[in-house]
Amino acid sequence: MVTGASSGLGQHIAIRFAQRGARLIITGRDKSRLQTTYDQLKGEGHVQVTANLTIAEERTFLAKSASNLNGLVHCAGIQKHCPIRQLSEQLMTEMYQVNFLAPVMLTQSLLQANAIAQQGSILFMLSTAAHIGTRGLGPYSAMKSGLIGIIKCLALEQAKRKIRVNGISPSVIATPMWDVHQELLTQQKARHPLGLGTLDDVANGAIYMLSDASRWVTGTSLVMDGGAVI
Amino acid sequence: MSVVQDPFSLSGKRVLVTGASSGIGRQIAITCSQMGAQVVISGRNPERLQATAAALHGEGHIAITADLSQQEGIDQLVAVSDTLHGVVHAAGISKLVPFRLINKQHLTDIFDSNTFAPMLLTRGLLAKKRIAQNGSILFISALSSHSGALATSAYAASKSALLGAMRSLALEIAKQGMRVNCIAPGYVHTPMLDGLGQGGGNMDALFDLTPLGMGEPEDVAYASVFYLADASRWITRNYFILDGGLSTPMDIYA
Ligand SMILES: NC(=O)c1ccc[n+]([C@@H]2O[C@H](COP(=O)([O-])OP(=O)(O)OC[C@H]3O[C@@H](n4cnc5c(N)ncnc54)[C@H](OP(=O)(O)O)[C@@H]3O)[C@@H](O)[C@H]2O)c1
Ligand SMILES: NC(=O)c1ccc[n+]([C@@H]2O[C@H](COP(=O)([O-])OP(=O)(O)OC[C@H]3O[C@@H](n4cnc5c(N)ncnc54)[C@H](OP(=O)(O)O)[C@@H]3O)[C@@H](O)[C@H]2O)c1
Repeated sequence: MVTGASSGLGQHIAIRFAQRGARLIITGRDKSRLQTTYDQLKGEGHVQVTANLTIAEERTFLAKSASNLNGLVHCAGIQKHCPIRQLSEQLMTEMYQVNFLAPVMLTQSLLQANAIAQQGSILFMLSTAAHIGTRGLGPYSAMKSGLIGIIKCLALEQAKRKIRVNGISPSVIATPMWDVHQELLTQQKARHPLGLGTLDDVANGAIYMLSDASRWVTGTSLVMDGGAVI
Repeated sequence: MSVVQDPFSLSGKRVLVTGASSGIGRQIAITCSQMGAQVVISGRNPERLQATAAALHGEGHIAITADLSQQEGIDQLVAVSDTLHGVVHAAGISKLVPFRLINKQHLTDIFDSNTFAPMLLTRGLLAKKRIAQNGSILFISALSSHSGALATSAYAASKSALLGAMRSLALEIAKQGMRVNCIAPGYVHTPMLDGLGQGGGNMDALFDLTPLGMGEPEDVAYASVFYLADASRWITRNYFILDGGLSTPMDIYA
């Protein structure tokens, strides 16, 4: 299952997973963009489910469409710049609901329904912002590093079933998320010795983290940042 | 995907693997050859190195016996290595020694094999331009560098030193598109661990601490293939913990 599959990283991860033989359940809010992803999935037996993951009923509906998952990749998320001095409760709540509560409670529903198979791999899309400080990214950073706490505790809880739980932390990838921040994107380029990453770079990292090749990896995160320095 | 090379394949790449006569290095060499690489393997014990050579898939591999704690050994390896697309430093030694029994000789022995050898070998290869553009260098560090288990001060220090070295080196070689990373494994089933058990360490109790159980050399080999392959072309200066969850309940960053 790949969330956020109607755009950017989630979309690309879903397409690459299908090329490598996975059968997918893809989900997103925008029906027509989700359909665009669906049309690009190689192979048979894929399923698409539109859902707003901040709404409990829609999460439950999505969870019911799944059984025996070998992998779960949480890519749905939003990014907003806001210095903490200007922070509103509304913005913070939105960040919390989309970037933290939604992936955590979706995981909960799937585990409760025994929909994740033994030796399955759960991957949370974090960001280097989960590990470092960035001016103006407090709310986003906090929710991403909050997920690290979930990853570590859940990794221990699920180890007996050999289910692995990890994060993947890219720095900057040009996706629609950056459309409104073009200037920042240019600034970001300068601090990456190997340049900015591509959608394929993240998809390849996700392929390693989802495949049995990483069966002994749990409770950690794969940082990918082209060697970024301040 | 037929014309484009699979980003996880190592075909067309030449990879140098040290410590290939035993344990983790041996398996990395074998798995790299299975993934299509031509390998240059090295170790001290000629018989065991030959046994690894016999287990490699494909053709054109080279095996060189060398003691990397000696400059001659390093020079020898640099001399015979043709252009390399990957280097894995898996050679290393470990010994349980309580801090009060540490002396200069012990520190020198551990640092010679674990820290100075991989650093000086890398330097030698870079100086002779033996590493290709976009080449990937990998140091096998150890979780001990963060966790510092009992009686491993010298070993842990020798392995954490690699982290700092790697971080700085990564900046220096990024211009040529080269990458360098560390993998930090927890407890892996190898002759090295068997040796520690015989040294009187109560290892079984330690192994039980790993949530997913002990690792196999294959697990480190698979991660190494990812770090050597183009699939990881954007990853550098990175320290990847591979430990079956052992460090998950530890405050290693606190
Ligand atoms: N791009 C980067 O540089 C970068 C770096 C590090 C981490 N990340 C992380 O990667 C993830 C994906 O980012 P992206 O760059 O691919 O962004 P994107 O192109 O904007 O895609 C975001 C996706 O999340 C979905 N989504 C947002 N809110 C949702 C909700 N309430 N319910 C269900 N789905 C929702 C969107 O669905 P609809 O479009 O259908 O509404 C869309 O599919 C995010 O978690 C982001 O934090 C991105
Ligand atoms: N096993 C674990 O649990 C574990 C955990 C974390 C990290 N590691 C690291 O992984 C690496 C491999 O360990 P392992 O468990 O596979 O150990 P191993 O089975 O004892 O193998 C060690 C290898 O290193 C070679 N070597 C040692 N000193 C050398 C020197 N001065 N010059 C040339 N070669 C030398 C040995 O060569 P000869 O046998 O031919 O002398 C052998 O091939 C080490 O760096 C170790 O610190 C292991």
